[in-house]
Amino acid sequence: MRITNKMIVAVGVALIAVWASGPALAADKPTKPMPEATEELLEQGQAIYFKRCSFCHGLLGDGEGPAAKYLDPRPRDFTLGTFKFRTTQSGELPTNEDLFRTVSRGLPSTGMQAFDNDLIKNGLSEDDRWRVIAYIKTFAQEFDDPDFDPVKTGKVIALPANRAPFNAETIAKGKLVFEKAKCWSCHGKLGRGDGNKEFRKDDWGFPIRIRNVTHPWKIKAGTEVEDIYMRFTSGISGTPMPSFVKTLNEEDRWNLANYIKSLQHKRTSHQALKAKPVEGALPEGPDDAAWDVAEPMDMRLAGQVVAAPRWQNPSIEMVTVQALFNENDIAFRLTWDDPFKDVKHDKSKEFNTNEISKVGGFNSYVEANDMVPRALETFRDSIALQFPVKPPQGTKKPHFYRGSSSDQVHLWVWRADLDAAGKRGTEEGNARGWKQPIKAQTEDGQQITGKAIWDQGRWSVVMKRPLKTGDKNDVQFQKGVFIPMSLNAWDGSNGEHGLIMSLSTWHYVLLEAPTPISVYVYAILAFLVAGGLGIWLMRKAENEIEPAEVSA
Amino acid sequence: MKKLRIGGFLSVVVTLVFVYALVKWGIPAVSREVTTLPFPLPVPGALMFIYMVLTVIALFLFVTFSDEGLDDFLRPVKKFLRGGYGKIPRAAVLVAVPALIGWQFYEITVPKVEVPASLRIQHPSSNFPKSFEAKQNLVANPTDAQIDAFIEQAKANEVQFIPQVQEDVENWSDEMDPDHVLEFFPVEPVKQLLAQLESGTVEKETAKAALMEKNLFEGRALYAMNCRPCHGDSVAGDGPMADGFKLRPIDFTDNGTIETIVEGYTFWRVTNGGPGLPTEATPWDSAMPEWKLSLTEEERWKIILAEYDLAQKTPRIPESH
Repeated sequence: MRITNKMIVAVGVALIAVWASGPALAADKPTKPMPEATEELLEQGQAIYFKRCSFCHGLLGDGEGPAAKYLDPRPRDFTLGTFKFRTTQSGELPTNEDLFRTVSRGLPSTGMQAFDNDLIKNGLSEDDRWRVIAYIKTFAQEFDDPDFDPVKTGKVIALPANRAPFNAETIAKGKLVFEKAKCWSCHGKLGRGDGNKEFRKDDWGFPIRIRNVTHPWKIKAGTEVEDIYMRFTSGISGTPMPSFVKTLNEEDRWNLANYIKSLQHKRTSHQALKAKPVEGALPEGPDDAAWDVAEPMDMRLAGQVVAAPRWQNPSIEMVTVQALFNENDIAFRLTWDDPFKDVKHDKSKEFNTNEISKVGGFNSYVEANDMVPRALETFRDSIALQFPVKPPQGTKKPHFYRGSSSDQVHLWVWRADLDAAGKRGTEEGNARGWKQPIKAQTEDGQQITGKAIWDQGRWSVVMKRPLKTGDKNDVQFQKGVFIPMSLNAWDGSNGEHGLIMSLSTWHYVLLEAPTPISVYVYAILAFLVAGGLGIWLMRKAENEIEPAEVSA
Repeated sequence: MKKLRIGGFLSVVVTLVFVYALVKWGIPAVSREVTTLPFPLPVPGALMFIYMVLTVIALFLFVTFSDEGLDDFLRPVKKFLRGGYGKIPRAAVLVAVPALIGWQFYEITVPKVEVPASLRIQHPSSNFPKSFEAKQNLVANPTDAQIDAFIEQAKANEVQFIPQVQEDVENWSDEMDPDHVLEFFPVEPVKQLLAQLESGTVEKETAKAALMEKNLFEGRALYAMNCRPCHGDSVAGDGPMADGFKLRPIDFTDNGTIETIVEGYTFWRVTNGGPGLPTEATPWDSAMPEWKLSLTEEERWKIILAEYDLAQKTPRIPESH
């Protein structure tokens, strides 16, 4: 076969074309400035606003649409002219491009979703986004006043000319800035949003949530170093987050942004947790070094929206699960971030769900602020592991939301208030669907032991039980079998109790079974046979040539 | 042009690598250009296997077509086995190849840790009640009586809204002090109706179109309150809760979803949710609520009306039996 230069060039071009055609970048930067707000443009903008925005932001733009009461954070009140995410100096109005960025990207972890039609199929084109932004600007009079125009008055913040690279050195410098500027006084020493000992509320009585900067999926206005830099340079209007322009220089702020970026947690994505076998005793406490070797699995939780009382403002959206087992027992460690240690429970403050749990009951969601108290010392923190009682057959499982009347689930519930009071914090129970509460097992059936620690905004709870129990209402653990596992979680100071909680769908836990010896025997046999064949071929080739060499 | 000459053996190796690269990376890259979807089409392992087997057969035929060809192919192999390219590389290959084969055997026989697959069935219907097949959307085709009642309400400026939107509409009326409450609708049919009310002659068709706009407005509000947390305000299955569920909420803008089913089916799914699904559709993984426990029939139909409108889709027409 002949290969010409032409062919080599053709292959090269083809390969470059393959590499160059990466995914298209989202257009959160407009290709052109905002068009002039003519009457026609505003009419078009109003039509879009009416159809896509008014149900949260209200017909008047006051953030009081029909869905607003159920959301935390609340939809923006456009009439105030106060916008959180800007590239302008503290207290200034946003630029058109700032509004364009928010509409295009959305604000993750809030009800505000991306509207860029490159990101979502049913989004808005660039022209439509400009139209609706022009209309939104009519709600606040400040936008009409040229004295407030941040561009004309030179109040726009530029990114620094010299940006320190993202590396260990700048991160270490940024950590010193974090300490010097006392970022920890609100955000906590480890950035988990646990710096405040009180539950703060804003002027409207809505809770102020201090960002856990280690959870990038909760960061609203972008997770890149540039975005983070902009947040503490511009400040976040209407919140206690100030601008640090006067106290920190550009370099410090950039290093700080690098440090914050370095704290972001990378979630695992697997759906099956491998429980590792250990020799001897299982770790008793959650801070035992034995847990360092156990594989972590990040389980994602959503608000309980399957049945009334529905809850779309869950606090716990990720729990990291690990498992270890020995000959007799299995232990799970559950770890999740929670800025407040809630160890009291006041039953009298529990929400009566009857009102919203009926057909035509106005709305089956729990309001974000008025229906349940979201305060300290009201409800306890709690978590529950859930397993099917029957061993799984095929893919068949009980429903992830507490099973059903025909297929019951086994729950391992841990409650912070009981644990803190020195009582047994763990309880085994069973459920047959969500309509009835979890039924605790009898005293004889209670075989779980638990230990918990809350430290620096993080709960770690260990629950341990024998692999097998004689109880027919219990899950039984068998090596090499995928056992479905899911979670229910409650953050007390977020108002969560009863069915107002977060939950996960089914994941799995697998107790690693030892590899059968035959596997190694087959592999070694294959190696020997192939190796022998190779040597035989080598000998054959050597013998073939010998006569030729002799004759030569 | 200068021609580069490489041996038969190297040609075979280069061809195999080229075909592999083409299937592995070329097809996905080209597919993205052709389909304009933001993700490449997957290349199944079986497809790769077939392509590689065909290539090997073709190369075998090519190599063994003549004795010269076979010699050309085998010469470097034999030379290598004799140690013509050095004894150390020969020893390395003679150990590495059997080791690779042994490792493959291990891979094949070792018990696999694979999460049990749960297949998603798009439109499970083994238990879909026939009575739902021909169900018509209550609010999509208002009766004459409903239209007349709406005209009367509009004439008296006393249009009744569902309680869920009432507060926002009242806030707007208090602030704007309009001549007519329907003025907040920035849509043509309602503007026409208002003009006709002014002139004194209201056409039934106009009133019907305006009533549809009102139903859509209410449906969108109900959707925003009840469905948006999972299905998203773009109806693309990407709401703030969507990532928390293993079976992601359905994307209604996808061509294979609400467009390919009759409205009665959509109503059945909304009404009975995950627990109403047949076993083959893994009802235990579905977070879809049984909305019959929370929403009235009319509320459900209004949501379906708005859902199709937001997704810019139309339902399949039921076949007459």
